[in-house]
Amino acid sequence: MAVAGFGLFLVAHVAIFRLIELERRFRAMVRIMMAVGCTLLIVHRMTVPDLGFLPHEYTTAGWAVDLLNGLLAYGFLFIGYSMFYFLVDRGFSARMMIEIESSPKRRLQACDIAARYSLEMVLQRRLTEMLEIGRIVRRDSRYCNTGKGRVAAIMFAFVKRFLQLGKGG
Amino acid sequence: MQGLLAGLLTFSVYFVMQAVVFHWITIARRAVVLVGLWLLCLSVYAPLFRWIPEDDVIWPPPLAAPSDAVTFLSGILLYFFLFMGYAQFVYMAESSVGVRTLIELHAEPENGLTLKELTHRYRYDWMLDRRLKRLVHSGYLVEDSGWYRTTTRGRIVVAIFSWCKGLLRLGPGG
Repeated sequence: MAVAGFGLFLVAHVAIFRLIELERRFRAMVRIMMAVGCTLLIVHRMTVPDLGFLPHEYTTAGWAVDLLNGLLAYGFLFIGYSMFYFLVDRGFSARMMIEIESSPKRRLQACDIAARYSLEMVLQRRLTEMLEIGRIVRRDSRYCNTGKGRVAAIMFAFVKRFLQLGKGG
Repeated sequence: MQGLLAGLLTFSVYFVMQAVVFHWITIARRAVVLVGLWLLCLSVYAPLFRWIPEDDVIWPPPLAAPSDAVTFLSGILLYFFLFMGYAQFVYMAESSVGVRTLIELHAEPENGLTLKELTHRYRYDWMLDRRLKRLVHSGYLVEDSGWYRTTTRGRIVVAIFSWCKGLLRLGPGG
């Protein structure tokens, strides 16, 4: 049922993204996921455990653990898909490969990539996204962390330091 | 519940081991170590599964499942999914430009930074070089006298990503 639910989510997600011009796309994805998740909960309680075709030995678990398993699988499928989505939508490396592949000679030097996609463009896109989700605010032309942004900055700075991940970015 | 608990416990073992290794050893190929440790810790899953009492001994009937292959596999699936989520988190902490930006802004809590000031804190050549090297190493690009070309593997990824971007109307991205 979790797999079917995730399939339903994918169909709704693609349809909505194609039909409507969305400003906050990920928020829309989360809302679709929640709506389908609630539908799953209802359908789970309304249907028989074997769904009319599953072998008996697969359906002997208690209803609560069955539901928990299903919700976990559905939730993690969504998280996994979100990773893929962010890679497609925001992946810096993916953008570099696309720039190389779409260049006239299908080859570029690092400086050509920098000319096509500048650091200002990279940072401006991130700043706009973080403004939308409330992690930063803009005062005149200066960007500052909000409380939410500060918490994230402190947490990630600790993780970077503790796991020796370097400055990154 | 036996499978879920075994999966959760195995991930806890993995999490602690990975944190200790990354904290004490400077690692060059982090992704390889992350996956290697995950595979190594998979070996403790079966002993943990056997060690946890069967569901009908400790859990009420709605939460009880037989200790069969389905329960065993559900725990492995949980362990896999938790790893995937955690790997994404580590990758984000390591490479995300947005995360780095938040940390740079945190260093200037009073006045913040302008876009221009922020760009001065980055070395774009280093950012690009790091990613290009990673793409060459992973077999998506080849480098020839400073020129980068996509490999067949790279072209397949570009085709898939371009198709997805078109389908979802996502724009050029990056």
